[in-house]
Amino acid sequence: MPIKRPRSPTSIAISAVLAIAGLAIAIVALVLHVQRQRRADALLRADPDRVLASSELTRTALDIGRPAFARRCAGCHGPRGDGDPLKNTPDLRDDEYLYGSGKPDEIEQIVLYGIRAGPSRGKNLASMPAYGRAKPYAGEPIPPLSPAAIADVTEFVLSLSGRSTHREAATRGRMIYQGAGGCYDCHSGDGHGDPGIGAPNLAAAVWLYGGSARSITQSITYGRAGICPAFATRITPLEARAISLYVASLSNPTTPKPNL
Amino acid sequence: MTANPTSAEAIWSTDDTAARRSLILCAAGAVLGLIIAGIGLFTAKGTRTSAVPAEDVALVNQVPILMSDYLLQLRALYDVSLTEASAEQKKKVLDDMIHEELYVQRGVELGLQSDTIEVRAALAGAVEAQVAADAAMAQPAEVELHAYYDAHTGNYASEGILELEDYRVAPQSRLQPPALAEALRHGANPAQLGLIRTATMQDGEEFYFAAKIHLPDALYEAATRLQSGEVSEPLRLADGIHILVIKQNTHPVPRSYAEVRDKVLQDFIAEQVKVLAAGNDRFLRKRADITLARGFE
Repeated sequence: MPIKRPRSPTSIAISAVLAIAGLAIAIVALVLHVQRQRRADALLRADPDRVLASSELTRTALDIGRPAFARRCAGCHGPRGDGDPLKNTPDLRDDEYLYGSGKPDEIEQIVLYGIRAGPSRGKNLASMPAYGRAKPYAGEPIPPLSPAAIADVTEFVLSLSGRSTHREAATRGRMIYQGAGGCYDCHSGDGHGDPGIGAPNLAAAVWLYGGSARSITQSITYGRAGICPAFATRITPLEARAISLYVASLSNPTTPKPNL
Repeated sequence: MTANPTSAEAIWSTDDTAARRSLILCAAGAVLGLIIAGIGLFTAKGTRTSAVPAEDVALVNQVPILMSDYLLQLRALYDVSLTEASAEQKKKVLDDMIHEELYVQRGVELGLQSDTIEVRAALAGAVEAQVAADAAMAQPAEVELHAYYDAHTGNYASEGILELEDYRVAPQSRLQPPALAEALRHGANPAQLGLIRTATMQDGEEFYFAAKIHLPDALYEAATRLQSGEVSEPLRLADGIHILVIKQNTHPVPRSYAEVRDKVLQDFIAEQVKVLAAGNDRFLRKRADITLARGFE
């Protein structure tokens, strides 16, 4: 028959300490989890436009958004969000936005539903026609332009940023821009674009596909239509919110810049 | 002598310290497990919940109305953010969204997806769009895109540009057509040779696709084969003999990968969409129980 030996006071004390430590760790873990969940809930419940004014919510957003951005977006937009000219992806740090005006809720829609990525809630309304092709635009009948007309429109576009060197050509280009070319329909009469459909401001200094005369001619002749994937089915609402706030923070001078 | 610790009596004895401690720890573990399971069960998305998840503004028969959709509606209808929106605006938007959700659910109950053409088209389109979204999600590596470009370089050629003068030989011309062509090659004035300039392509440069529309096929074929500055051999057409003077012929050339990367990506994804859509179609057919009537096999 086995005989139970009495435990020494030291071993009882060690057991008690271990048990208390284990319980304490479990409680701390639970508390941290609950706090993290509360912060996440607060981030989801908050007005996205106001989050960056709150240091606590901003910290939560950046803590979640930065790694999520690195996983989902950095492949195209670069780890710093400064874009990649070879991939024609925009620099997210400046304050030029093709779609919308850089508000977090606008960015969130792009993160969720993409640009020309399939979902009907995405930004799919328009793309740049290829005026040097027989059928410039799949969506509706638009007449093509001649090489000379494209050269004139290029000159007019250059004139919007004070870079035209051929005044008569720019004048002819304006007529085409506002007439047969139908460019005004998306880029507006003054060339300042339409952020509702992703038509860029032609008078700005930021060019996604290059702003040289040659690049502009190429864009008019062969068209443009970039794609941003839709992540609605791949990420959680919290990640989408956090990524959009992280992106918004990149161009927001009042937000503490993340350490990269 | 102590009691036998393996006996059932000793295990359940509350007099023994070790046994009492074991029972307490077991009970604590069970309670903790129940709490964790309860939290998981009653807050998990998709199960019946007592509270609206933070990412939603409402649950309609347990179907969430997403906060992001709600914010989008506020922006679309009133161009306001959540903070800027008034209580009336918020209520109106939420009421509208609940109304829509209720009607969608009622529509499904009534089987409208079987009866209404627009609903069927929208559903089919949404499934196709989801396939496209999956394809767009899989961002190809640059190596893959480059390989695709290399395999389809012809699709990414520039548009050729043609500028020419088309002359018709006058019936009463003193010189034979070959002599007229030769004279043109030596810089003779077409008008002095009695050649008649036709009305085609008088507006200068034209892209190949436009020239193909404006010129008869035989002239277009001949023109695109010639180089800038060359003069064609006389070409006999139904309306007479033509001679082309090629002012400029810029042949199509492959555009560089850097210039066309956006198009390559678009085409690559479009091809992926076709592959995925075909796979999806195969999967749905394989999974479905389709019985064909006699005579329709």
